[in-house]
Amino acid sequence: MYDCLIIGGGLAGLTCGIKCAKEGLRTAIISGGINSLHFSSGSIDLMGYSADKNIIHNPFKHIKSIKRKNPQHPYAKIPVKTIEESITFLTDELKSEKLLFYNNSGKNHFRITAIGATKPTYLSQESVFNEQLDLALKNNTRISILNFEGFRDYYQEFAFSNLKKNSLFNKLNISSGSIKLSFLPDTKKHLLESNSIDIARLFETEKYLPRISEEIKKAAGDSTIITLPAFIGLNNYNKIHKRLLELTGLQIYEIPTLPPSILGMRIDNALKSRFSSLGGEFIAGDKAAGGEIYNHRVTHIYTENYTEATHHAKYYVLSTGSFLSGGLQSGFNKMYEPVFNLQFNWSRKRNKWYSDNFFSAESHPFLSFGVNTNAALHPYDKDGNVIDNLYCIGAVLSDYDPVREASGGGVAVSTACYAAQKIINGIKG
Amino acid sequence: MQRYETEVIVIGGGATGTGILRDLSIRGIDATLIEKNDIASGTTGRNHGLLHSGARYAVYDLESAQECIKENKILKKIARHCIEDTGGLFVTLYHDNPKYHDLLLERCKLAGIKASEISPMQAMAIEPNLSSHTLKAVKVPDAVIDPFRLTSSNMIDAVERGAKIFTYTAVNKIITSGNDSVGIECINKKNEKIEIYANIIINAAGIWGQHICEIAGIELKMMPSKGSMLIIDYRTNNIVINRCRPPADGDIVVPGDTVSIIGTTSKEIDYDKIDNCNVDDDEIDTLLKNGEDLLPNIRRTRGLRAYCGIRPLMAVSGKVKGRKISRGIVLIDHKERDGMEGLITIAGGKLMTYRLMAEKTCDLICKKLNRKLKCTTHKLPLPGSEKKIPAKQTIKHFSGIPASTVGSTFYRHGQRVHNILTKDKKNYRLICECELVTEGEIEYAIKNLNVKNITDLRRRTRIGMGPCQGELCAYRAAGLFNEYNSTSPEESLKLLKDFLEERWNGIKPVFWGDGLREIELSYWIYQGLFGLGDFGDSDTEEN
Repeated sequence: MYDCLIIGGGLAGLTCGIKCAKEGLRTAIISGGINSLHFSSGSIDLMGYSADKNIIHNPFKHIKSIKRKNPQHPYAKIPVKTIEESITFLTDELKSEKLLFYNNSGKNHFRITAIGATKPTYLSQESVFNEQLDLALKNNTRISILNFEGFRDYYQEFAFSNLKKNSLFNKLNISSGSIKLSFLPDTKKHLLESNSIDIARLFETEKYLPRISEEIKKAAGDSTIITLPAFIGLNNYNKIHKRLLELTGLQIYEIPTLPPSILGMRIDNALKSRFSSLGGEFIAGDKAAGGEIYNHRVTHIYTENYTEATHHAKYYVLSTGSFLSGGLQSGFNKMYEPVFNLQFNWSRKRNKWYSDNFFSAESHPFLSFGVNTNAALHPYDKDGNVIDNLYCIGAVLSDYDPVREASGGGVAVSTACYAAQKIINGIKG
Repeated sequence: MQRYETEVIVIGGGATGTGILRDLSIRGIDATLIEKNDIASGTTGRNHGLLHSGARYAVYDLESAQECIKENKILKKIARHCIEDTGGLFVTLYHDNPKYHDLLLERCKLAGIKASEISPMQAMAIEPNLSSHTLKAVKVPDAVIDPFRLTSSNMIDAVERGAKIFTYTAVNKIITSGNDSVGIECINKKNEKIEIYANIIINAAGIWGQHICEIAGIELKMMPSKGSMLIIDYRTNNIVINRCRPPADGDIVVPGDTVSIIGTTSKEIDYDKIDNCNVDDDEIDTLLKNGEDLLPNIRRTRGLRAYCGIRPLMAVSGKVKGRKISRGIVLIDHKERDGMEGLITIAGGKLMTYRLMAEKTCDLICKKLNRKLKCTTHKLPLPGSEKKIPAKQTIKHFSGIPASTVGSTFYRHGQRVHNILTKDKKNYRLICECELVTEGEIEYAIKNLNVKNITDLRRRTRIGMGPCQGELCAYRAAGLFNEYNSTSPEESLKLLKDFLEERWNGIKPVFWGDGLREIELSYWIYQGLFGLGDFGDSDTEEN
């Protein structure tokens, strides 16, 4: 019997698991596969855009106004203080895994995208944004947007041409260029066919670092700051990043590009490692297939791999993500939540699931579909009864749009911590 | 303003238009083609790609059926690399009227189409996914043709023989002198005016031919009929499956490349809607329902996209409508019909008979120009199909490059594979993993195949046509436009955005299940991660 059984091991599930395990609760996470951190920017968005599409500088101030305007929004159900604390909690936990994050003293900063857009976000890894970069933006600094020659998943000219026109960068002297890694032996997978992980591994091979640094310096010319696609190591990133700065004497920043996302995988690795070191049990490669609900409580769940065996817990958390992760399912004219068949907010007509234009400013309605909960994040069964020992957190929730609002990370982390605290209170009395 | 002179102007870059252009250039007549969009972007590229045996027409329209089987045999020789000789079945299900089966056999015999009855067990052995409710089956020489490759090959041959092509150039005006038409005034995407003068103008604009006649001051009535199709993301069948019943919605499933296509609906639409028509949700319901009757596992298969085309039917006489209108060829000399010398309209027909339509048109042109030149297009293979070479031999020739990569390139481009692949790693690395499109193929298309954007590139190579609908390769393709076509970064990103919007248009009608999941990821990457929607002409601009 677990104190807390979490279904889904993404950002929300892992954060919730860490918080519970840290309080000594017997906690397990069932995780079906890779989570969406692997497709993410690796920054944690909190609240980036308002409903009228303006960039938000002060996210907490805006979150307060959500409570009035959109009471169904997950942020409206959580005290602002809890949201603040959850961000601090996450930052501290990642720090203890040596993954350092920058935040702009309670305000948003921006991250640079692979095509040179700037997006508001709340937490970024120090190799993506930090005080030094902030300072450099205010001075006439030389910055070079670099890529590895022949790499097909990043085109530095796109970022370069758009950043040149961006007013945030108008003090900088921007150039672009490419780094030749022709010294690599033929036995290595060719750069032309490499993805981000292959290149991250190159950085992790210590003997290559001096040569890579030399080539980076050549490509950087007289720039003091350079950006690279985000591949500076996966497991040993901190050490490698530091060594690279020493070897080159440059400030080096990372820009996320096509998946797999090295920046997101660093967070994933760090959270998993943290959860395990706190005594959490991570059940990988299995999926919750269904659960029994009796007397408004989940009695047990069973999984795809072992349908006869059941998992019992005092509290259950559903953090199975959105459609992409399989937490929500859609079919021909139907949508449902597959584990408990929970009450679900969606439109019955399938032509109401999307907007006419792919890049519509309104985003797409299906992104706000999801499980409906009460103010305590308890969902309802198909008959409309509240399920008392089940919490829903993260992207499985309805009434927020992670892309249009740039709020996905913040909702995941804050709903996770909010539910975890309630579970902790429940267990400890 | 640019000004050109030629002997013949061809308006319309579909199969017919490019077919005429090729026929003319083989005969040695100087010609220029004008297309307002890309080649094969109209009805030519918006059908199910069936290489008819003629059996579908045999019962009601013997003449069309006979034309079909004749052209079927010719195309299998001259356009090998555009055709997959799958064969076809006509299947009678238990609630279909079995009399149609007998009628089909009888009429096929009359039309000269080799149709043979096989037992339901034999049919199931050929096509294991076939419905177990199959009562009767007839084997026919149907096959599959790729209209993009076919049109592109006609274009390549014509251009290599000296013809000119202007795509994304629309005809504004027919220039006349007295009662004669002597040229056209066009406008391209950069808003540049182009005047072209010629002895003869061919209106091969298909359904848009009514409009061309209109600007020439001639009334010509087309009867637009919309047909919608649904692509499913697996090749559920390896042989063309026809429902053995009078023509109706959803009576065919055609395999092609890596997918299968359920066809087709038929809805009459107003002429002013021809440029803005979409697949309706009820058409999807109909196609799925009927497709499922033939191949029961279709509904469990992911829908990839849906699209529609407009049949360029002509009302020659009487009140017949929709499917019942003859698919026969209509060749109009406007001198005789309307007293306007120098203008000819070619309409009606179908993809199958494009070559014959071109032949008839060119014969009339020769007659009018007083040139005694014979048609040879029925004997002369298209570029890529010159010799019958097995894929194995080509794969061996390129040893060192993965066989799947060579095989796909050969499948799409025939012998032109030798103009595309080299043993340089950058050349044969994959850009589109779903459809095995290499950087070399993209470079070749950008430089040689009159490609102006990523959607054109898709028509020439199949990039972005696979399960992910361009999730990763679209960004890479935009990068390669920047590299090989010196398209500016801003313009390349605009092409990327347009391409994703174009893909989205076809995905919307089948937006559920895994397709929805795929879109959530694509949207997340391109908007969430990249912020592509933040740039350009869209209303999301914020920077």
